[in-house]
Amino acid sequence: MADQASDLLKDYQAMAKQSWDSWTRYLQQQMGGTSPFAHAASMPHVGSGQDLLARSMDALKGYGEWLQGAANSGLGQGGGDWQQSLNQMFAGFGGQPFAHAFASIDSESARSFTQLWQSWMQATQAGAGGHAFDVEHMAAFGYTRERQLHQQAMAAAMRDYLEWAGKYQALIQRANTEGLERLKVKLADLGDSKQQVDSLKGLYDLWVDGAEEAYAQIALSDEFRHVYGSMTNAQSRLRLLQQEQLDALCRELGMPTRSEVTALGKRLQELRREVRATASTAGSDEVSALRAEVAALKRQLAAKPAAEKVVAKKPVAKQSPARSSKRSSEDEVVRRSSKPAAAVVARKSVVRGATRTRK
Amino acid sequence: MFPPVRLDPAALMGEISAFQRKLSAGLANLAHQQEPEYANTPREAVYREDKLTVWHMKGQGKPTATTPTLIVYALVNTVWMTDLQADRSLVRNLLEQGEDIYLLDWGYPDAADRWLGLDDYINGYLDRCVDAVRKHAAVGAVNLLGICQGGTFSLCYAAIQPEKVKNLVTMVTPVDFQTPDNMLSHWSRELDVDLFVDTMGNIPAELLNWVYLTLKPVRLNQQKYVGLVDVLDNPKELTNFLRMERWIFDSPDQAGEAFREFIKDFYQQNKLIKGEVVIGGKPVDLGLITQPVLNIFAEQDHLVPPDASRALGRHVGTTDYTQLAFKGGHIGIYVSGRAQREVPPAIHQWLSTRN
Repeated sequence: MADQASDLLKDYQAMAKQSWDSWTRYLQQQMGGTSPFAHAASMPHVGSGQDLLARSMDALKGYGEWLQGAANSGLGQGGGDWQQSLNQMFAGFGGQPFAHAFASIDSESARSFTQLWQSWMQATQAGAGGHAFDVEHMAAFGYTRERQLHQQAMAAAMRDYLEWAGKYQALIQRANTEGLERLKVKLADLGDSKQQVDSLKGLYDLWVDGAEEAYAQIALSDEFRHVYGSMTNAQSRLRLLQQEQLDALCRELGMPTRSEVTALGKRLQELRREVRATASTAGSDEVSALRAEVAALKRQLAAKPAAEKVVAKKPVAKQSPARSSKRSSEDEVVRRSSKPAAAVVARKSVVRGATRTRK
Repeated sequence: MFPPVRLDPAALMGEISAFQRKLSAGLANLAHQQEPEYANTPREAVYREDKLTVWHMKGQGKPTATTPTLIVYALVNTVWMTDLQADRSLVRNLLEQGEDIYLLDWGYPDAADRWLGLDDYINGYLDRCVDAVRKHAAVGAVNLLGICQGGTFSLCYAAIQPEKVKNLVTMVTPVDFQTPDNMLSHWSRELDVDLFVDTMGNIPAELLNWVYLTLKPVRLNQQKYVGLVDVLDNPKELTNFLRMERWIFDSPDQAGEAFREFIKDFYQQNKLIKGEVVIGGKPVDLGLITQPVLNIFAEQDHLVPPDASRALGRHVGTTDYTQLAFKGGHIGIYVSGRAQREVPPAIHQWLSTRN
């Protein structure tokens, strides 16, 4: 049985190699260039379509490699100790199966930072006569003092970021390792209930469940929260210093800087808010004034028939009751004023506001 | 002990060969694929401002509902999740039931929108969109159907402008932002948001998508694509898969200031349930929401845990409060087969007795 399995494995590996090779050739025909599975980390930044596709396919390649590794381990293919076979299988992946799935948690930005750091160090560590010196801890002086200080701040920020990124990666790796332990527990539970995993996909899905459970437990821990926050903050500080450096360069070249554009945007948005607020205040004042005018007109209309009745019945004018006189005086105000008082006040305030704005 | 793993070598070889075969053959199917279209339910733009558009969605027949419903989506991702494909469209299902549906499409902010804050979004844009719908439909008040963060916005709006909102439907909406199982909230707690936004300006969609993927890294970075291999030879399923990928990754950036305020006030300080949110000088008191409220959430939601939504029932002022727990996830509540059967009819039934 074991011999048969071994022969099958040899046959399979030859076939798998052919399969991957033909796939690679196919991709090369489609896009030209080298292997689509060249390690992406060597790329300075996201670039060619080929590189992007390779990263998209990384997950599938990782799974394909795991299938081969699992088949090679002999797990579940004989009467041996399944736990031992499982350990051996995972050891074959350096204890970190599906490293890609977890490694992808380390973002592209982190990758580009590391490369930036390396190139920056190379550029700044070459001292006079080719001697390296400690940029970060040199006393700053002379004409380039400010730039030296800025570079030292960047070096410190980069070091801080790398430290937190390392702690973050350690937590991710812990999740991956604990995923294996959870897989063992799940398999043991299956054994207890006399159930069996009879496919690699079934085993893989069970591992994913275990890995996600382990990850979730770690990701919801206080330690993770602190490391995650600190890593993000460290990256932000570093980016900010990079931006300052870029701004300085742009100023030297006479180009608009990011900070200038940001300031302009902020002022523009403030101005828009001010204009809207002014317009809406003016609008609401005007509406209030118009409502008051309509109400007054309604009262006037309502009063008219009554007044006409009085005139019809008693042509000789009598002293009007106080209420009528009040109403007629109100009517007079409405008739006299071509513009309601409130509207006039509103327009005045708009004019004043506009004057203030112009200042 | 009964051995839990039994892998027959021949079957094992067959499984691996099948995987390789599907992968090799399927790659050709991935080539020359056209961009998968969304459902593209007929629509008419009734209001535009800056980047946003309010769409009036057109069904086969005239709406029977007397009150229009404005769907308010989150600022992250796009509203087209509600009209993803012909047979998986919340919008189409609601139109078929006779509802009169409007969509608020926030658009794609750029550097010019970096300083837009929550006041601009809620008291500005959203208010003017509601006014546009009121005017277009010739009604005094509209129904709001708020989704995820859009639901939170709708709650704030309904508390500030109650006279313009007749009924309120919230879907997968976070209300209590600090439930123990809320991973996003947990991760944001020690984030220096001021430093982050001052550095980033607008928050890139790619960065946020990466954060969402890391909530379930193995499932979303690998297992999903292992599953893709099984549908590579099925054109319809492949198109559906690619359409969903389009929706997930075709996301807008986030206006920096609004992001800053939302993370600080909602995620880090959980002000909504404390009644401490103030937007544009206007306090947001959930207790002032007295309109009928239908609160729908997903029981397997990893982005907005069910308890984050359930909290609404304890804080909202209305006496007409209905809660609906859906068996599914944050996305499944719109696109799963079960969702098509359960969610739109439930919304329509609830609205029809209150319009």
